[in-house]
Amino acid sequence: MKTYNLAALLVGVPLLMAFSIPLFGFISKQLAKWITVLTLGFEFFFGLYIFFWHIYPFNVIMGNWVPPFGENLYIGPFATVLIILVSFVGLMISIYNLWSANHGDVVHFALLFLMFVGGSIGLISTGDIFNIFIFMEITGISSFALAAYGPERRALGGAFKYLVISSIGSTLYLFGVLLIYTQLGTLNIAEIAARISQTTSGLLTFAGILLVAGLAVEAELFPFNGWVPDTYTGAVNPVSATLSGIGSVGGIYVLFRILMTVFGKDGNFVSTYGNMDLMALVAILGSATVVIGELSALVQKNVKKMLAYSSMAQMGLVAIGFSIGSKLGAYAGVFQLVNHSIAKAMMFLILGVIVSFGIGEHIEDMKGLWYKSPFLTLAFTIGALSLLGLPLFGGFWSKFALVDASIQRGGWYDFVIAIVLFASVVEAFYYLRIVGYMFTSKPTSTDKIKVSISPAVPIVAFSILIVAIGIFPQIVGGISWNAAHELTDKMGGYVLNVIPTIVGH
Amino acid sequence: MIDFLQNWIYLTGSMALVGIGLYIVLTNTNIFRIIVGLNIIDSGTNLFIVTIAWHPKSVMPIYTATNNLVVNGHVISADPLPQSLVLTAIVIGLGTTALALAIAVKIYQKYGTLDVRKIKEEDR
Repeated sequence: MKTYNLAALLVGVPLLMAFSIPLFGFISKQLAKWITVLTLGFEFFFGLYIFFWHIYPFNVIMGNWVPPFGENLYIGPFATVLIILVSFVGLMISIYNLWSANHGDVVHFALLFLMFVGGSIGLISTGDIFNIFIFMEITGISSFALAAYGPERRALGGAFKYLVISSIGSTLYLFGVLLIYTQLGTLNIAEIAARISQTTSGLLTFAGILLVAGLAVEAELFPFNGWVPDTYTGAVNPVSATLSGIGSVGGIYVLFRILMTVFGKDGNFVSTYGNMDLMALVAILGSATVVIGELSALVQKNVKKMLAYSSMAQMGLVAIGFSIGSKLGAYAGVFQLVNHSIAKAMMFLILGVIVSFGIGEHIEDMKGLWYKSPFLTLAFTIGALSLLGLPLFGGFWSKFALVDASIQRGGWYDFVIAIVLFASVVEAFYYLRIVGYMFTSKPTSTDKIKVSISPAVPIVAFSILIVAIGIFPQIVGGISWNAAHELTDKMGGYVLNVIPTIVGH
Repeated sequence: MIDFLQNWIYLTGSMALVGIGLYIVLTNTNIFRIIVGLNIIDSGTNLFIVTIAWHPKSVMPIYTATNNLVVNGHVISADPLPQSLVLTAIVIGLGTTALALAIAVKIYQKYGTLDVRKIKEEDR
């Protein structure tokens, strides 16, 4: 067991800075926004340091209480890649916010944003199943308030819907946690994972269903994703980017940490303990999410709503990838998660720039964008092509791995291949329709859109990253493979790294 | 009957509260009533957390000269951990309720109604 207690700063610094932002806000509003940039920059470079110096996997042990007696943070390869991802997307959106957040209560917007990203990083790194609930509520409460921010009144309805569904979801999650606690008397993920076979099978299944139902709300899986379209459409664009680029990452992480590490039964393909294979349940939910999300996106005329439904469908693809249960499947899931959150965050930011120049969100309004702003059009095209999985863009490698993994699994996963390909075709149809409008039609007015430096930086960075991943997939591939190993080999990959002396049952 | 009540009333009661709360949330169209329903769900959860730590003959989990925690090799004290968890859960529930009420006030200012259906119609 390796310990590296300095990494507690990963969770501590954003929360500390978030609550001191009102103090900086007294000095100047601009300073408050720059504090978010600096803090998330610190997080990002700390993540890169952990990655490149190969410090992971390690534990952070609070107050010298060794797990399972004390609370710990565990940062393995999976947590490392997601911390880098979340802090990178957060950093980029905070740079964008320097330009975009200038109406209303800017200082508290910065506070909530930093709290949301800090909570997500805590959610990803914690090693205690009840702390997951606490971090879920930290991200939850800050994201309800973020979703309600903005001049438009439709934001309020979306935020309220999200609040109701999400609080019921986290209550269900809490019930599941407590049912496991009554069986094993511990809340440490590693100890529960090692002793999960000692529980009553029926109760474990019930707890598992409650956990899946609670976590599927954040992970945007059908039928718990009714909030997605309203909330994403209502919120201001940086908030939609945050929710789809960061919020869903945390949800998916916890869902599969619970299913594969805690409930997982090792084998060629990971399945779960209990009367029912919960991985199969999630595979069914994921497939339904893909089909419903893509078909709903197809008929939308509002680009933002289309992106919201497409976000749902992509999370379904991620869930299918993990639920295959093999190493390749988990690899595909992690890779697809990275690709999706980069591309979708970028597209929401681009839409934000477009809307700020008085062009609407309707699909007809996209006509002739190429003549107004070649830069935004190219970036949007790169994002769209990556999402639908064209070679030379990031999304190709993850969808390729997903199809490959389903073929290896065989059986009824052959059906999954059909769904992935179907999704790609439908996605191609509606994304290429927008891209086609952008390039071909002549605009009615030829006012040029002049993008200033602060929103241009994140868009350029995201599009370079997408193309770079497409050409050199090993940038993300290597660590995704380690993450897949951590998920599929539960004793060697997780439990023994946290509690070296424990014996699996 | 008394035995049954002593052992199960809190457990069934907490489940019933959650059920009532879910029913209220699902069937009402008034935002204020939905918030009340969320609160009832929260109360049910909190009662459940306390209940799993407790049984009718348990003693307090503090070791003193007269308070034996272990009798004949069986632990008879209440479990202190869920009682500390419930504090966290109560505070989180309070925070969510406060935020929900704040959003409800904003909705009433912008739409002039708290009926979910009317809000949906106005958005069209």
